[in-house]
Amino acid sequence: MEMEPILEVRHLSKTFGTNPVLKDINFNICRGDVISVIGPSGSGKSTLLRCINLLETPTSGTILFRGKDITGLGNEVFAYRAKVGMVFQSFNLFDNLSVIDNCTLGQIRVLHRSREEAQEYARQILSLVGMAPYCNAKPRQLSGGQKQRVAIARAMALDPEVILFDEPTSALDPELVGEVLDVMRELAEQGMTMAVVTHEMAFARQVSSRVVFMDEGVIMEEGDPEELFTDPRNERTREFLGRYLNQ
Amino acid sequence: MGKFSQLIQDVIRLCAKYLPMYLSGMKNTVLLALIGTVLGCIIGFICGVLNAIPYDTNAPLGRRVLIRTLRAVIRGYVEVFRGTPMVLQAVFIYYALPYFTDGAARFSSVWAASILVVSINTGAYMTESVRGGIISVDPGQVEGAMAIGLTHIQAMMYVILPQAVRNILPQIGNNYIINLKDTSVMFMISFTDFFAVHRGVVGATYSYFPSAVIEMIGYLTMTLISSFLLRKVEQRMEGSSSFELVVSDPLTLTSGVYRHPVSEELFKERSRDYKGKD
Repeated sequence: MEMEPILEVRHLSKTFGTNPVLKDINFNICRGDVISVIGPSGSGKSTLLRCINLLETPTSGTILFRGKDITGLGNEVFAYRAKVGMVFQSFNLFDNLSVIDNCTLGQIRVLHRSREEAQEYARQILSLVGMAPYCNAKPRQLSGGQKQRVAIARAMALDPEVILFDEPTSALDPELVGEVLDVMRELAEQGMTMAVVTHEMAFARQVSSRVVFMDEGVIMEEGDPEELFTDPRNERTREFLGRYLNQ
Repeated sequence: MGKFSQLIQDVIRLCAKYLPMYLSGMKNTVLLALIGTVLGCIIGFICGVLNAIPYDTNAPLGRRVLIRTLRAVIRGYVEVFRGTPMVLQAVFIYYALPYFTDGAARFSSVWAASILVVSINTGAYMTESVRGGIISVDPGQVEGAMAIGLTHIQAMMYVILPQAVRNILPQIGNNYIINLKDTSVMFMISFTDFFAVHRGVVGATYSYFPSAVIEMIGYLTMTLISSFLLRKVEQRMEGSSSFELVVSDPLTLTSGVYRHPVSEELFKERSRDYKGKD
């Protein structure tokens, strides 16, 4: 199913000082894609997501969102970021705001929805992730898994075209990983476009439509999850997945 | 013991005669400290927030120059007013106006001059406190705000400053109490605060020590009451001290975790008509 890409990354490079973190990255995200980005730590996976959301400024290359280059945006960058949701490893919920206010702030200030409309919508989204009963709780009262589900709701409340997940379960203890992955799995089934940096190989294999393997700032291999996990073409991929392949 | 009973008598004698003056001095001290601290906080917040505007090396040249200049000006202000005694600042500002205008313009009231000096002085300290308060907020909070499309100003207003204020509240209280005491130097420009009353009284009665005792008790009373009230405010700002997880709701235990034994569907609460607890 060839579709028009939402995001096209072209020759993207990012250098911190003299340290090249991303080298000439090319890849597309199409509507309905669930892309898992896997690879060893320090391979540039997170930086790639952060560049897409312009939390980091790319050193060179272009990122096209619906055909329009977003690397040179001025004040439109704020509207763009609202269309590209982001879920962080460390949640980054607003500690001073209640769960529901976390989900309405962007709707009210960026999308200019009315307070009532925003709250109504936030409640709907929160009940999708099973957090509606905690509307009035503060983030510090929640467990890690609950925080991450609220963070997902916060991103979804802005009706983004794609949500980027930066190791969403890496900070969670094993018992809480399941509830977050279940929410993400359900999002994927509903057709949400997602790019997920993850170390959860089972999730990457079962849920994603495409898997990208990165190492040392380069995309080593990209393809169908079943193929990549059973018969990787690249030697480095084979090495990285060794433990999983033998299972 | 004889000396102590004499002291008590002296104090009572002074109070009987000069109590209204002492009280009006205390009133002036509290008012000046309060107004000075409030205005100083406003100055501090403005400077602290301007100081926190991120310097982006990719921004246009004009913007970069503007930010650099702004930071240099604020830096200079802080260093000058934090690095000189307030008593000198008072004299400096009070006499600058008539000096430059050959006496044509001067401060119409010592109140205006005193409030100006105390505010500017407090503002210098608060600028640094606000900067520290902003820095101490987890950088992840800014990223979270950026990620949902907020501008720098919006992120400051709705996310960073509310958290920073909580961090710097003790510092504001600290400044207020310092101001209660340090406004005593304003007698230099003939402001009649609590300490100025002491100078007046001893000038007339030569009872240096008994009056000093009254002053000590008076200042301590003002600062102790202030710390008590400030602590109350802090407790209120802090909100519930409970860090307990909200685990009482049974829905969390089932939502998205267990499957229905027959339909194999994930349990979840889909009640769209849920209206919250408020």
